[in-house]
Amino acid sequence: MLNLIKNEWIKIFKRPGTYVMIGLLVLAVLGTGILTKVYGDSGQSTNPQWKQELQQETKEYKKEMKGLPKSANTYKQSLERDIAINQYRLDHNLPPEQAETGWSFIYDSASFISFAGLFTIIVAAGIVASEFGWGTIKLLLIRPIKRTKILLSKYLTVIIFDVFLLAILFISAAILGFALFGTGDGNNAHLAYANGTVVEQNMLLYLIKRYLLASIDVIMITTMAFMISAVFRNSSLATGLSIFLLFMGSTVTAIIAAQYNWAKYILFANTDLSQYFDGIPMVDGMTLGFSITMLLIYFIVFMLLAFGVFTKRDVAA
Amino acid sequence: MASPVVQLNHVTKVIKGKKIIDDLSFTIEEGEVFGFLGPNGAGKTTTIRMMVGLMGITSGEILICGKNVEKEFEAALMNIGGIVENPEMYKFLTGYQNLMQYARMIKGISKQKIDEVVEFVGLKERIHDKVKTYSLGMRQRLGLAQSLLHDPKVMILDEPTNGLDPAGIREIRDHLKKLTKEKGMSVIVSSHLLSEMEMMCDRIAIIQNGKLVDIQKVHDYVNDTKQKYFFEVNLENVGILDNIPYEKVDKGYEIELEKEEVPKMIQKFTEAGISIYEVKPIAKTLEDRFMEVTTGGEKHA
Repeated sequence: MLNLIKNEWIKIFKRPGTYVMIGLLVLAVLGTGILTKVYGDSGQSTNPQWKQELQQETKEYKKEMKGLPKSANTYKQSLERDIAINQYRLDHNLPPEQAETGWSFIYDSASFISFAGLFTIIVAAGIVASEFGWGTIKLLLIRPIKRTKILLSKYLTVIIFDVFLLAILFISAAILGFALFGTGDGNNAHLAYANGTVVEQNMLLYLIKRYLLASIDVIMITTMAFMISAVFRNSSLATGLSIFLLFMGSTVTAIIAAQYNWAKYILFANTDLSQYFDGIPMVDGMTLGFSITMLLIYFIVFMLLAFGVFTKRDVAA
Repeated sequence: MASPVVQLNHVTKVIKGKKIIDDLSFTIEEGEVFGFLGPNGAGKTTTIRMMVGLMGITSGEILICGKNVEKEFEAALMNIGGIVENPEMYKFLTGYQNLMQYARMIKGISKQKIDEVVEFVGLKERIHDKVKTYSLGMRQRLGLAQSLLHDPKVMILDEPTNGLDPAGIREIRDHLKKLTKEKGMSVIVSSHLLSEMEMMCDRIAIIQNGKLVDIQKVHDYVNDTKQKYFFEVNLENVGILDNIPYEKVDKGYEIELEKEEVPKMIQKFTEAGISIYEVKPIAKTLEDRFMEVTTGGEKHA
């Protein structure tokens, strides 16, 4: 199995497109870093008036909350969260970090995870379909190796590739962030709000967790792209559909969720698990357990489709 | 007789309700070159794809060295090396990297083995060039190389000479001869090129419309002791041909004779005062046989 994955890895890295992807990813981090440094850095780390500001902010939030209609439940909850965190800062004398630090830069760079996801999807969409396109599928499948193993090795390669891109993103953001903005004043706790209370978390652990949680989204869509690739042998279809869903899926789901309760069964309502650790669920009544169950169901369905069709298929092309 | 290396038992393939292969049974012995002949669309490629597990078998079974291709896929395929149509390789890799891909997929293939195979197919000079720079003949050779890596007992080649020039065809033929002679491999070749098959194969199966029409040794086809000869004569009295099988054709007669009987026959005609304008053997080529068999099959179908 290790050799099969090695084979797939070689096939990915012997093509120049892969290096373009990695280059673009690093370039995106580099570009934002430099732009932030040049235009965004205010230079001052802490506003001396921060306590008054926070109190003012909290007052406004509370006023706003009273005026909200009942249906704006989600927004109300997010205001509640902001109020609680403000209160926690006041109570524990933790001024909000205003200047950019290496930590906040890594945090912000997480928005490039969907960029890394985009590239993973391209790889996933091609990994089965292009063997058919190249005609190499015939020589690949007449090895004394079961088709299940070959497909599994391809899937694992895609997942490893995703982790690899995430690592590149995280590390390049960390190197650049700490080089440009320093480590901040050592006050590196992250304030999270869950179940009505505020907790401090270690920043590094928090960031790694954030990256991993954000990639559940990517991994699910990648799995879907992989399934489409294996079932339809068409990488354009797999790429197009998956990228569309990657960028539009959660938006569309959020719109549906505002109206209908069944939105919670949609894949994209469940891909963002950070809503349970650090925010408010998209649809009322959703729990972490529910989302994990839904994700598992989707995952199993995708896998059954991919493996079922791939192992049974007559290779005629 | 050696045990069969490949055995097909009542193999049938149905695609979308249509019988592509209908109850095909035959065996292939060790060390023989077995030809698979048939017009386009007869089911040659389908049969070969079933043998290597690229296509499922609707009913019946295929055994490779006693192992069922469907149930013991890995064990069966250990014994098979194959090229299905044009060997498509990863064009962005070099020839050597391509071979490494396949070598990694089977345990115990050493670097020496790869070098040996490369040497055998004569690609040593270009093996570290990218495959996209290869000619079709070189790709065919690389295809042969990948199929030899694990020392299979059976080589299965689907249309190996398609698109090759005469030199390339000859090269493939020579390689196959060497493999059967030196390594005792069995070879299964499919083709619609008759002359090719005649030169390469020991035994040939003709299939048409998914059915086995005929299976025979090549020598049976070509070197029958008795042969038909065409005599262009102005013969009025047929009595002279008593006890001799003959057939009246346009301008003369076709008479089945052994070679030694031909002068006697001519003498007989001249003695009877019959003018002979032309005598020629009607060479019964594989092609004649093929046409005979396949068109006959069509009439009955």
